[in-house]
Amino acid sequence: MKTKRVMAIASGGGHWVQLMRLRPALDGLDVVYVSMDKSSAADVPGHRYHTIRDASRRNKAAFLVVAAQLLLILLRERPKVIITTGSAPALVSLILARRLLGARTIWIDSIANAERLSTSGEKAGAVADVWLTQWPELTRREGRQPEHWGAVL
Amino acid sequence: MIFVTIGSMFPFDRLIRGMDAWAAERGERDVLAQIGDGAYLPRHMRHVRRLSQADFTASVANADVVIAHAGMGTVITAGRLGRPLVLLPRIEAWGEHTTDHQIATANWLRDKPGVFVADTDADLNEAIHAARGAGGAAGRLSPVADPAFTGRLRAAILDFLE
Repeated sequence: MKTKRVMAIASGGGHWVQLMRLRPALDGLDVVYVSMDKSSAADVPGHRYHTIRDASRRNKAAFLVVAAQLLLILLRERPKVIITTGSAPALVSLILARRLLGARTIWIDSIANAERLSTSGEKAGAVADVWLTQWPELTRREGRQPEHWGAVL
Repeated sequence: MIFVTIGSMFPFDRLIRGMDAWAAERGERDVLAQIGDGAYLPRHMRHVRRLSQADFTASVANADVVIAHAGMGTVITAGRLGRPLVLLPRIEAWGEHTTDHQIATANWLRDKPGVFVADTDADLNEAIHAARGAGGAAGRLSPVADPAFTGRLRAAILDFLE
């Protein structure tokens, strides 16, 4: 059977809170959620929810653990689309999902990045089918330009 | 209750130290501070290192005023629950974050209803005073983003699922 599954992933804190504001985009779809805090499962009743460890780019060992966790989750869930509001671990999940599963990918850079894209957001440009900034000013720049479709606020 | 929070990532002792001094000076007893991995332990505020997402939301809901770093989790949660908010942005040069994006966030939110920016820790007292005066007047944010945005995302997702 062909899966119609979407994976929605965000780091804990502000990234998750922003993802939750986008939930009308996912209404009624087969969505599996991934974040870092066990208690966030309560925000998405009726959906499967997986946790991964927190890791920043600064901690290479933790980052490998997170990549392994993401790999297992992706192989089990096999999403066809993956959508995220960041941060670095979510970028890893986009890369893996695209390479391994041929998933289509949506990166929405955090609204906190008002003056320039986040480091992960910058890299996401190479792997995102839909590559968005929440700030219209950031679409005007040299090289490949992210799009602006709106903002969570 | 006054809720002080530094978010889920890096420590922010400047805010915790400033608020501890404020609580001592003012004799405020009902202050809860979430301090992360900070080295400074407050002596005049109750404190926890981390809160689950659920306990964080509950702490914001129970607060008369929220005093925080300029992080979007706190900004959106306080806005949604209609709680007045004091923001002290983290400064990169002092090792408080990896970039100065919190200064941009503070500048962008500066004149929004219910938001009071303290540019430095010396401005905290005045900002808290203004936030307390605002009371429940802080605007209540809708729980979801603009339908034009979520609608366009949904159309893209449905197209990819075809």
